Amino acid sequence: MSLARIRSFFRNLVHKPALDEDLNQEVSSYLDLLTAERMREGMGRAQAERAAKLELGGSEQVKEKVRDIRAGAWLETLVQDIRFGIRMILHNPGFASLVVITLALGIGANTAIFSVVYGVLLRPLPYAEGSQLVVLKQEAKKANLANVNFSPKEIFDYRDGNHTLQSVVEYHSMMFLLLGNDTAERVQTAVVSANFFDVLGVKPLLGRTFVSSDEDKNADAVLVLSFKYWQTHQGADPHVVGKVFQMNNRPHTVIGVLPPIPQYPAENDVYMPTSQCPFRANPNNIANRQFRLISAAFGRLKPGVSLEKAQADLSTVAHQMEAAYPKDYPREYGYGITAAPLQTELTHRARTTLIVLLAAAGFVLLIACANVANLMLARILKRERELALRTALGATKARVIRQLLTEAVMLAMGGGILGLIIAPSALQVLVKFAARFTTRAAEVKMDWPVLLFTLGASLLAGIVAGFAPALASSRQVFDALKQATGQATASASRQKLRGALVIAQVAISFMLLVGAGLMLRSIVTLERTDPGFRLDHLLTMRLSVNFTHYQTSAAGEQLSSRLLEKLSTTAGVDSVGLASNYPFSRQGIIAGPGRNSVQIEGRLVTPGQVPPQVDADVVSTDYFTTIRQPLLMGRSFTDHDDQKSLAVAIINQSLMRHFWANEDPIGKRFSFDQGQHWNTIVGVVADAREYGLERGIPEKVYVPEQQNGGATGGANRLVLRTSVDPMSIYPTVRAAIHSVDPQLAVDQVDSMERLQQDSLTSPRTTTILLAIFAGIALLISATGIAGVMALSIGQRTRELGVRLALGQSRSSVIQMVVRQGLALAIAGTALGVAGSLGLARLLSSLLYQTSPTDAFTYTAVAAVFLAAASLACFLPAHRITAIDPSMSLRQE
Amino acid sequence: MGQEQTALLQGTLDLLILKSLALEEMHGLGIARRVEQITGGTFQVKPGSLFPALHRMEEEGWVVSEWGESENNRRAKYYRITKMGRKQLETEAERWGRISLAIAQALASS
Repeated sequence: MSLARIRSFFRNLVHKPALDEDLNQEVSSYLDLLTAERMREGMGRAQAERAAKLELGGSEQVKEKVRDIRAGAWLETLVQDIRFGIRMILHNPGFASLVVITLALGIGANTAIFSVVYGVLLRPLPYAEGSQLVVLKQEAKKANLANVNFSPKEIFDYRDGNHTLQSVVEYHSMMFLLLGNDTAERVQTAVVSANFFDVLGVKPLLGRTFVSSDEDKNADAVLVLSFKYWQTHQGADPHVVGKVFQMNNRPHTVIGVLPPIPQYPAENDVYMPTSQCPFRANPNNIANRQFRLISAAFGRLKPGVSLEKAQADLSTVAHQMEAAYPKDYPREYGYGITAAPLQTELTHRARTTLIVLLAAAGFVLLIACANVANLMLARILKRERELALRTALGATKARVIRQLLTEAVMLAMGGGILGLIIAPSALQVLVKFAARFTTRAAEVKMDWPVLLFTLGASLLAGIVAGFAPALASSRQVFDALKQATGQATASASRQKLRGALVIAQVAISFMLLVGAGLMLRSIVTLERTDPGFRLDHLLTMRLSVNFTHYQTSAAGEQLSSRLLEKLSTTAGVDSVGLASNYPFSRQGIIAGPGRNSVQIEGRLVTPGQVPPQVDADVVSTDYFTTIRQPLLMGRSFTDHDDQKSLAVAIINQSLMRHFWANEDPIGKRFSFDQGQHWNTIVGVVADAREYGLERGIPEKVYVPEQQNGGATGGANRLVLRTSVDPMSIYPTVRAAIHSVDPQLAVDQVDSMERLQQDSLTSPRTTTILLAIFAGIALLISATGIAGVMALSIGQRTRELGVRLALGQSRSSVIQMVVRQGLALAIAGTALGVAGSLGLARLLSSLLYQTSPTDAFTYTAVAAVFLAAASLACFLPAHRITAIDPSMSLRQE
Repeated sequence: MGQEQTALLQGTLDLLILKSLALEEMHGLGIARRVEQITGGTFQVKPGSLFPALHRMEEEGWVVSEWGESENNRRAKYYRITKMGRKQLETEAERWGRISLAIAQALASS
């Protein structure tokens, strides 16, 4: 743009009225000169004036053309269009608010879901150079073990043997008792390498993080607090650094507080270096290559190193280990290591669900746009005279389209603003939901990328909703002008456009409804699934023992005997059991079944084959009767199954079917330690779905706690069958527990029914959200159909009146109209079925025992749809009965 | 309509207007008639093209305008070519010469 042109731009902006007046005069003087010229050629005055006007070719059009080439004309046009748009909106507040609300629903839903998608899947990790962070996982491919813990020795080998990572750091998490002022408190404690936070690139909020000297064997014990723990348990005390707690019988000093960042792999209360964990620091454990305590390891790629290169490098180390220690890494296990980006690892559980929800929200917005497009078409029909007048006064076709588009975009912006007001409340629910999948949920917020998205979505919605009607109408207006009838009539092409919009709406809504229907069917199936035990009247909780007071397994077994005895005589408790894990426990659901290699007596494991893998739990005598898991064969555990008697075990039905399908398993023996010790099977219990209703049933053995260290041997979870509401007697139960040992910490108190419901929260929330979207879609589509029908009946009043006057019965006229509406609905449904069959595959990983092409769901949804469509057609069709043939004929 | 006109045609109209104004200042109708005259009636300049072109050229700084009296005492807006306008005329004329030569050569060959 030249300098002169820029100067003109500002002049045009400031002196517009003067310029316009000048242009008026210039055009009229031109006309004068032209007239004079004609008169000189011998014409009379009147004739000359007419000839001059003819040569000029419409003074308004000429002026409009000049205005259009002026610098900054677009800005002026925009301001004009907006001003005019505001007038139109104020003129039709009902229409405007309908459009704004429709779009606000769509845009609000998209904003909320996009906030989560952006916060969880797209936003860069809040760690320095987060894309360089990789997670390491050991695997035994041939044994189907995808995630094997690391032993300290393995960590050292990978740390020292690789050439592609800046460092390798380790992590595991344990519960320890923190003795602060007066109470014993359980804290989830992460045990990490000293340079853990340096590798992550995390700077402390207060104090410092660990340095390598903190990891020395004789260093003073130190703790770093998580932001959340500092807030909730230390009252955000700014002087917390330096505070001393007792933990594992040693004083621990707080040296720092972490900033609010997502914690990987899990949320922890406090962090300590490896040298302070009594298990990790034990020299025997460090020397043992099989002591696989470390649940996560990760590293930072050296600059410029690709993931593939690091993967190859680490695999080399793994092969060297496999060759050097064949006993620890049997060939038949297919030992190896994988490296994956931390970002993917943090969020992969949430991905499918979020993408499904975002797609659903996008569909809702599309349907809303189609509806608005239809509303605008109807609206424009009433404005045809105005548009024709504008055209006559010099507006070009492009100008009319631009005007109508500006109006649509303004309405969409209104929808966007209202959507932003709705979004936060929806977001709250969504964040809680996402937190079940990923620790990144805490980072979700509506910041500028989200606002940008909303702006973009609103603009796009406005253009999508406004473009087709604007184009169709401008064409219509021009045609009408050409025909010079003065009255534009409904054109066939516009009717077709409206029909197509309705078909698209119906098809998309159908797809959403099918998605929601499939999820609903899946969750109903899940809820009806028999867990294999009785859920009601069960109280569950977790105990934490101060290990320093119970050093031997005999002491642990004694503690559990005393506990069980005390609790079984507590009022309101029918029976009580201890177990290392009870069904639907949160840890159990997160971790899934364990895998222990066993050797079955008399069955040779052929070399190159992986030994049987079983899940194992330690339970007390009355555990099965307490949860009502039925005994199928043999006997249950008794009080005589203790250290002095035969080591026994009970297996579940799945394990029996696998290994003793045609024989009696009672009396058979198996070993957890390659034949050093044997357990004799004394009974078989029915299968229980312990790790979530949607999961398969693991092959499982149970061993008695009195032979396995009691409450300190892992059996630290209590289940109580109560005769009253389980939660109501918790205080009594807790008092009874503390009367046995006041230092027993109790947490995770829940009723079994709640645990079961909790285990279904994610599929249920997904279902509810999809159902809400589908409901909105159905409602919008139904109003869309009704709107089209009402309009078409309104336009055909005359024709319908003629039909009635000629003796056609009202009911047959109604039928005829309804049939037309239903034809649209059926076409949409057919398209929807095709679309659903294609898209439902996306859902299949979220479905439980439900086929993505489930015929019942499709039929039911189609029925719902056609019913809704019939209603939507019938209501406006009913107006026909009000038509008075003689009146309608006289109309116009 | 301005944008729909091809750059060549627009450039040609500019060239013709500048050429007409190079000798003396003129009002709009005068320009239209002069163009018709110097092109031997080949170019009929309609007000619908003339006005936008004049105003655009004024915004570019090639011409300036002021109100004055016409030959028979009517108020009319007169356009005068500027220094920049003359430069533009030179480049346009040169460009046009090149184009017409090229086309003439193209047609002559075969």
